[in-house]
Amino acid sequence: MKRILGALIVLLGIGTRVCSQSDVPILSGALAFNTSTTAGATSFVPTLAPVLVAPFGDHWLVEGRADLQGFFAQQNGTSGPYNGRFFATFDYAQLDYIANPHLTITVGRFLTPFNIYNERFSAIWIANLQDSPIIFTIGTRTSSASNGGMLRGVLVERPNWLLNYTAYFSVASTTENLQAGRAAGGRIGMFMPNAGIEVGASYQRFLQNGDFNVAGTYFAWQPPQIPLDVRAEYAHSPGGQGYWLEGAMHIAKSRSTTTWLGRLQTVARVQQFFKGTPIPQDVLPAADVNQFDFGLNYYLAHDVRLNGSYGRQYSSLGNANIWNVQIAYRFLFPAWPGEHK
Amino acid sequence: MKTWFTILFGTLLLTCSLAVLAQPQGQPPAAKTPASAVHKKSKTNDGEQRFQANCGRCHTPPEAISPREVKAVLQHMRVRAMLSAEDEKLILKYLAP
Repeated sequence: MKRILGALIVLLGIGTRVCSQSDVPILSGALAFNTSTTAGATSFVPTLAPVLVAPFGDHWLVEGRADLQGFFAQQNGTSGPYNGRFFATFDYAQLDYIANPHLTITVGRFLTPFNIYNERFSAIWIANLQDSPIIFTIGTRTSSASNGGMLRGVLVERPNWLLNYTAYFSVASTTENLQAGRAAGGRIGMFMPNAGIEVGASYQRFLQNGDFNVAGTYFAWQPPQIPLDVRAEYAHSPGGQGYWLEGAMHIAKSRSTTTWLGRLQTVARVQQFFKGTPIPQDVLPAADVNQFDFGLNYYLAHDVRLNGSYGRQYSSLGNANIWNVQIAYRFLFPAWPGEHK
Repeated sequence: MKTWFTILFGTLLLTCSLAVLAQPQGQPPAAKTPASAVHKKSKTNDGEQRFQANCGRCHTPPEAISPREVKAVLQHMRVRAMLSAEDEKLILKYLAP
């Protein structure tokens, strides 16, 4: 982890000398505080998730995201004094070479591109509900990141649709904070901007713990006329399969967050998980699970967001109520000061 | 339990359907503009449309993006969100004209 951080700093240092004013690196991400109560057990999770993005000319990009998190909970689950600790992980640290309009080559540690939740919706300042879907670990098991190489880009672009692809390979790693599974896979997706529809499918061959196939599909719909977001994923692995379907809507006629009502967003999600054959080191639930969640998000000024949600989980291992409250501040600023052009 | 999920599923679908039906079908026709003005505005409008269609897919845009930050943001999004080269070019013109 220190080596990667060192390499990033060196690259940034070189970048300051060789790149133009327009190649200003940015520091983005979020600062959040989450409190969660699951089946009576309460935890507090402060998080700092900084994202560093440094472009070098028109073709090269270095980017990384760390996750500095604390976890505080009662010693015996629902009783005893609160104990906790802080830990840090590298979500990704990657070098991108944008070769041409159809190909970007990525090496390093990157978010595993299985379906779209992991890459696009999992960031704490983006996720509509703070708990990841139950099937999240199908296709992203071990750490949700891969260490290796990836090819991606837009295959075909037409006025009404766009076809994109991703193909990757990852080596196994048990290094602390840099865990990854040995796997190879790909994803193909289609985006129809006029209709606001995105569909795609993923495949992965997991090359450890007995080699097995994982497949998934996703759907996202954002009708241009109304402030509604519909997202869904299905994933299948020998260890289990399931889906989630989420709808989020602003209580206003448009997506504008300039009015107090427009800043309010309601969210609902249903999900089901069906247990398969247990896989070694699997992190999926040990039994079938059904769950629904309702949430309210409020977008305050200055990129601050308040989330609150209630969920009910049904499982043969025990039913549970899940409460979440979070405040998150999303930041974005140049990595060093300079004149505004 | 199955009944619960059927109800929830149905409610969600019904809400979505009603929300769509409650909206006017299509956009109101735009006022006629001289051809020269249309030509000048088209690039900006393209950029704005691409910005709304692509960036809003995952998140609300940040309150402010300075022109100094735009290039890094767009290159990041080109990789992360599969923006096309054309999208990147037009959104760059829109955000940092």
